[in-house]
Amino acid sequence: MRSPVFFIVAMLVGLTGFVCALWIGNDYIFYAGFVVLQFIVLATAWNILGGYCGYVNFGSAGFFAVGAYSTVTLHKLAANTGRYFPDALLPVADAILPLSLPMLIVIAGIMAGIIGLGTGYLTLRLRGAFFAIATLALAVVLQTLVLNWSFVGGARGAYIIAPQSVAIGAYELRYIHYLALTMIVLSVLAVTVARLIERSRLGYGFATIRDDEIAAEACGVPTLRLKLVATTISGALMGMAGAPFPYYIGYVDPGTAFGLSYGVNSIAMPMIGGTTSWIGPLIGAILLGTLQQIATVTISSAVNLLIVGILLIGFVIMAPSGIVGLYSEFLRTTAPSKLNARAVGILVLASYCFIVGLGGVVFGLAAAMGAKNSVLAGLGVVEIVLSLAYLASAYGLTKLDRWSPLFTTATLAISIPLSFTYIWLDSSTLNVIIHACVLVIDIVAIWYLQRAEVTGLYRSETEQRVTV
Amino acid sequence: MDFPFELLINAIVAGLLLGGFYAAVTVGISIAFGILDIVNIAHPAFIILGSYIAYIINQTFGVDPILISIAVLPAFYLLGSAVYQVYYVSFEQRGQDALRGLAFFFGLLFVTEVMLILVFGVDYRYVTAGYTDHAYRFGQFSIPMRMLIPCVLSLIMLALLQVFLTRTFTGRAIMAVSQDQLALRLMAADPVRIKRIAFSISIATAALAGACLIVIQPVEPSVGREYIGRVFAICVLGGLGSLPGTLIAAMLLGIVESITATFYGPSWAPAVSFGFLLLTLAFRPSGLFGR
Repeated sequence: MRSPVFFIVAMLVGLTGFVCALWIGNDYIFYAGFVVLQFIVLATAWNILGGYCGYVNFGSAGFFAVGAYSTVTLHKLAANTGRYFPDALLPVADAILPLSLPMLIVIAGIMAGIIGLGTGYLTLRLRGAFFAIATLALAVVLQTLVLNWSFVGGARGAYIIAPQSVAIGAYELRYIHYLALTMIVLSVLAVTVARLIERSRLGYGFATIRDDEIAAEACGVPTLRLKLVATTISGALMGMAGAPFPYYIGYVDPGTAFGLSYGVNSIAMPMIGGTTSWIGPLIGAILLGTLQQIATVTISSAVNLLIVGILLIGFVIMAPSGIVGLYSEFLRTTAPSKLNARAVGILVLASYCFIVGLGGVVFGLAAAMGAKNSVLAGLGVVEIVLSLAYLASAYGLTKLDRWSPLFTTATLAISIPLSFTYIWLDSSTLNVIIHACVLVIDIVAIWYLQRAEVTGLYRSETEQRVTV
Repeated sequence: MDFPFELLINAIVAGLLLGGFYAAVTVGISIAFGILDIVNIAHPAFIILGSYIAYIINQTFGVDPILISIAVLPAFYLLGSAVYQVYYVSFEQRGQDALRGLAFFFGLLFVTEVMLILVFGVDYRYVTAGYTDHAYRFGQFSIPMRMLIPCVLSLIMLALLQVFLTRTFTGRAIMAVSQDQLALRLMAADPVRIKRIAFSISIATAALAGACLIVIQPVEPSVGREYIGRVFAICVLGGLGSLPGTLIAAMLLGIVESITATFYGPSWAPAVSFGFLLLTLAFRPSGLFGR
C-alpha cells in the first residue's frame, strides 16, 4: 500500500473510532482514548530511533516535556502580551497569539526536534549503553532547568485553562473531543511517517546501523548523518505528542511532565509489540495503553506501572522480538508459502488467550484487592491463576510447544465453570452477555483444538512422519 | 560582599564526605558496568531496597543500620547471583544484543521501585542511631557523624575490594574476565562463575550503600532515580572499572555538588552531576583516568 493511501485508510479508521465514541456519548472514552493515542505517538517515535537504529532512548519523558512546556510558555505569553513584549512588537504578538493547537504542536515539534538534533550531536561518539545513559542524563538536566524556571511555574507547576469549546467551521466541538481528534490525526501521522521511513532508503540505512554500525560505516553508509536524522525525527514526534498535554491535564508540573511512566512506557510498548516494524509499537501502545487505563480505574495507578514493568521484563526474556516477532516466527513454520486457515485459526486463538489472560490478571487483582469477603477474594486469586494459565497457553501455542494444545484445552475447560459462577454472582444483562460469549468461544476453541489438523502441528517431526 | 571563605571550606569538607559516600554507591556499578560490561541501571533500586531493609529492622529491633547491612550482605550476594543467572541465561548465553539487557534492567529498576511504593508508600523514611545527631566541631567547620561514618565505611569497603581485586586469584580473574575469556578458561577458571561472583559482589555492595544512604538522608522509593545519573557520571569520569579512579571522581563530584548546593541552592545539584556526565561522555568518554 502506498503511503498516501495508507494515510487515508488509517485516518478513516481513526475517524470511525471517533464517531463511534461520539455515538456512545461517554466522555470517559475520550479521556482514556487521548492517553492511548498519546502513547501511540510516543511509542512510534521511540521506535524510529530505538527500534530502527538500535539506540535506546531513556529520556522520552524529557522530549515529551519539552513539547508540553513549549505549549505552557506560549500560553503564558499569550495570556499577557502587554507585559512580555516591547511596545513595538505588541501588535504583532497580539495578531499571532494565542496560537491554535495545530500551530502549538508544530512549534513543540520544532523545539523538541532541535533538542533531538542537539542530543545527536552531543552523543554522536557514544554507542549502546553510553547513549542510553546520556539520554537519561539529558532528561534530568532538562527537568532541573524547568524546575528553576519560574516563568513556567518552576516546581509549583502551571495552570492551563482550556477553552470550553472550539468552532470548526459552523460546527461547535467540545474541547476534549477536539483534543482527541487532534491526537488521532497526530498518531496517524506518526505511524505513517514511521512506515514511510521503514520502507525507504532511510529505513535501510537505519537498519544497517542497528545491525553493525562499523560495517555500515565501512560500506559508505553516512551513519552520522542518519543518526542525526533519526534523533531529530524521533525527538520532534515526542515533542508533538506532548504539546496538547497541558490542555488535556489542566495543570502541569515537572513531576508529571517528566514522569518516569512516559520513559518506561515508550520503551515497553515497542519492546512488547515488536521493534522492527511500525505495527509493533502500535500494537504495544494500544494493548498496554488500554490495559493501563483499565488497571488505573479498577486498581490504582501504581499497580499499572508495576504491570508494565513486569510485562517488559517478561517479554524481553521470553519473547525478545515482541508479539510481531512471535507471530511472524509462527507463520514462518506453519504457513511458509501462503497464509492458511489453520495458522490463522491458531493465531486468533492465541491472541484471544493472551488478551483474556492480561485482562484477567488485572480484573483478578482488582477483585482480590477490593473484595468484601474471603470467598470473593479467593475467586479473584483463582482468576489470576487461571489468567496466568491463559498467558502460558498463548505463549505455548505460538511457540509450537508440544504440551500447549492439551494445556490450553484444560485451561479453557476450567474457565467454563468459572464463567457460570460469574453469571450466577452478577446477573446483569451486560455481564451475562459477556460471559455467554466467553462460554461459546471456550467451547468452539476446545472443539477446534481437538481437530487432527491442529494436533498434527504440535507433534514432533518424527511423529508427523509416522502419521503421514 | 567579601568572599565567604568559611562557607567554601565547609562546602569542600561536606563535599569530601559526600564524595566518600558516592564512592560506596558507585563501586557496584564500577564492578558491574566497568569490569563486567553489564549495564546494571537497576543498581540504585537495589540500594534503595537495602535502605528499606535497614529501615524495617531498625524500626522493629532498634539495631544499628550499618550492622544490619553487614548482616544482610549474604542475602544481597544471593540476590545478585539470582539476577545474574537470569541475565546470563536470557541474554549472554543466547547472544542477545545489549539493548534488551538494558531494557531488562530498566524494567527491574521500575518493578523494584513500584513494589516499594506499593508496600511502603511514598513517605520519607529515616533511621535513628546513637550517632545520627552528633557532630564534631573544629573551629569554623563541623563534621557531622552521619556523614563521617558512611564515608569511613565506604573507604574501608573500597580498600578491601581493591585488595581483593588485585591480590587474590579470583579478584584478578574478575579483572581479566572482560578482556579475554579464552585465556581465563586456559587458567582453569570458568568465566561464567567468575562473572557471577563479581556481579554478586556488586549487588552486595548495594546493601552497605543503602544503609549509608538512609543514615545520611531520609529515603523514599524514587530517590534512587537521582542516583542513576550520579553513579554513571562517577563511573565514567573515573575511568571504567578502576576503583581508585572511582573514588577520586566521587570526591570531585561530591565537592562540586556541595559547592553548587551551598552557593546556588540545592535544586541545581542534580543538574551538576548529569551535566558532568554529559560533558564527560561527549568530550572524554574514556574518563579522566581511563586506560
